Amino acid sequence: MTGNVQLETWQLWVALLCACVGTYFCRSVGVFLSGRVDQNSEFFVWLTCVTYAMVAAMTTRLVILPQGLLSTVPVYIRILVCLSAVIVMVWGGKRRLGPALCVGILILLSYVSFYQSP
Amino acid sequence: MTNTDNPHDLYTSQKDAFWGGVKEGIGAPAVVLFAGMLGFGAMGRTNGLDLWYTGFCSTFMFALPGQIILLDMIVSHSSVLAIALAVTLTSTRFVTMTLTLFPQFGRSVKDKKSFGAVHLLAMTAWAVSMREFPKIQQQYRRSYFVGLGLFCWMLALPGTALGYLLAGLVSKTITIGLIFINPLFFVLTFTEIKNSWSKLAVFLGCILGPIFYSLDADTSLLMTGLVGGSLAYGFDRKFIRKLP
Repeated sequence: MTGNVQLETWQLWVALLCACVGTYFCRSVGVFLSGRVDQNSEFFVWLTCVTYAMVAAMTTRLVILPQGLLSTVPVYIRILVCLSAVIVMVWGGKRRLGPALCVGILILLSYVSFYQSP
Repeated sequence: MTNTDNPHDLYTSQKDAFWGGVKEGIGAPAVVLFAGMLGFGAMGRTNGLDLWYTGFCSTFMFALPGQIILLDMIVSHSSVLAIALAVTLTSTRFVTMTLTLFPQFGRSVKDKKSFGAVHLLAMTAWAVSMREFPKIQQQYRRSYFVGLGLFCWMLALPGTALGYLLAGLVSKTITIGLIFINPLFFVLTFTEIKNSWSKLAVFLGCILGPIFYSLDADTSLLMTGLVGGSLAYGFDRKFIRKLP
């Protein structure tokens, strides 16, 4: 191990193991409870709302408050990229996931290569 | 979401459904996952971790946001306990993600194979399955999900390893593009949501997410989910669906 890591190697692996167990624990709790949830119930609708809100918050965090390299791109550019891709996606009522992804990433790449090239 | 037994005969056998899932995976989900893992591999290297460690993360955690938090906290010298707690809290979304997806499997949810299948659950497979499940007969949904999830999971290690090995070789511009594919995909899947309550929940999640994040980063996802989701549900029930 080189670089800026300060924890001992064994501590790193303990942290990773705990992280894996914690993540799988959450997944398995979901399966365990799944047999008891009626997918036509109001509780299920509420759960769907909670989950979509969490997933939306996760996505917003990745777009608005990213870590590392992405944070060197101004936030309005990141939002502009998302909006452009969404417009391509919904224009004409057809599902255009591939083209929408391409347009978004191309806009981002053009910005970065024009304004941030070393 | 409410139509459980759809008469469409999209698949005729479990094998058929499995390969249908694999086929759905080839394309946008694969690109998104692979790009995310490439980015994570590169991040592992630039933070001074070895390839084993970085690859183990992607294979056995298989939850990119948690992996990024793990790496981030290692670099900022957090304690082992704090790391375990923060990662587990971020993973609480899997409880409800599973709870919204697996009951749609029908009876097969109760057997032990579901405990294996759940490791393959990631945001990509979840978003695609939520969209496709209403079109698939209930008894074939799990096979479809396993096909899709397994294909994505199998890309995690090669993606991470390639990202690790390429880090520093590709330009900064390309790396930024790779990292952004992941969030952009999720933004785009939100446009495919059909029902009013989920749309409201996404809207509130986007607004409340950063607010809760600024209050407390570790619990922000859970809080946004509970508060935003409940508000969306309440509003939808009172004003849109108008249930008694």
